[in-house]
Amino acid sequence: MKKLIIATTIGLAITMVAGCAQKSVVRYGDATAVETTDINFGSTDLQKVAGDMTDSLLLSPVVGSLTQNKRPVMFVERIKNKTSEHIDTESITDSISTKLLRSGKFRFVDMARVEAAREQIKFQQDGGMVDTNKSVQFGKQIGAEYMLYGNLSSIVKSNKDKSDVYYKFTLRLMDLESGLVEWADETEIRKTKAKASVGW
Amino acid sequence: MKKIIMLSTVTVILSLFFLGCTAPITSGIGTSAMIQGDDFSTHLQVNNPKLGQKLKIIDVKSRKKNDLLEINLQLKNTYKKSLKLQYHFNWFDAQGFVIESRKTPWKPLELHGFQSTGLRGLAPNEQVASFNVYVREVPEKAYRY
Repeated sequence: MKKLIIATTIGLAITMVAGCAQKSVVRYGDATAVETTDINFGSTDLQKVAGDMTDSLLLSPVVGSLTQNKRPVMFVERIKNKTSEHIDTESITDSISTKLLRSGKFRFVDMARVEAAREQIKFQQDGGMVDTNKSVQFGKQIGAEYMLYGNLSSIVKSNKDKSDVYYKFTLRLMDLESGLVEWADETEIRKTKAKASVGW
Repeated sequence: MKKIIMLSTVTVILSLFFLGCTAPITSGIGTSAMIQGDDFSTHLQVNNPKLGQKLKIIDVKSRKKNDLLEINLQLKNTYKKSLKLQYHFNWFDAQGFVIESRKTPWKPLELHGFQSTGLRGLAPNEQVASFNVYVREVPEKAYRY
């Protein structure tokens, strides 16, 4: 009996060590899952910020009246990164503009591709390879009526047991003709990291 | 005496084995597909009874705003401790086809003991006719630093 218990114990111990060993395994994960690898700005934060801002903008009464009979043309200026981290804010604006565009309520002009568009039109006009009757003409593009811009700031605090980071994302919509800010909203994120009291 | 020590050791090792190596429970509570005006109580689904005892869906309202379907989900923590949760909406068109599949992220939510809160969901476009919602509790991994 004693031997059996010892053998069982050793067997279970080996199974435990083998089962819990850190093996390097590659898996596809859920891109929409909440990610808490560390305290820095992550994919969940990006998705939350873009989702909250898009929902708020699409639900605002001002946008309701702006988009009643037409699809206003917008351009995204940029999100100023005022945090101490390196954050790809263009990725945030890409997500916001994609969601707004896919909502069917707005149209966008892409200022980051102006030079590429100019080169293409120039090629069509002057290259001698494109039928001039079918080529795209200069001076026919539609200008943006509204501008989206914003800030991302953070407050970071830590002591020996705990780290805390607070992000605030502000987004505004400006009427380019009048200069009036027609809509603004902000969203907040708080993340904390504490020392594990139990763990292996 | 030795037998007791042996048995205790086996029990501890077994507990550690099951605690450390089991996959987390990721099921939760939610609703089946609902259209605007549906009574939510007939659509409730509890896949995780343990969570269902601690968390209740109090109300699910929907309306059209700016031509988009807006959802108001009321949750109540009926447990004395905080719940770390995630929630998620799925959107379907009039024929029941999923819209923006796998693009609506899980959103983190912390509900303190006995706290109730309202959560908003907004359809990604005007084609959305029905929706469902799902809330789950995911055990957090403790990080060392």
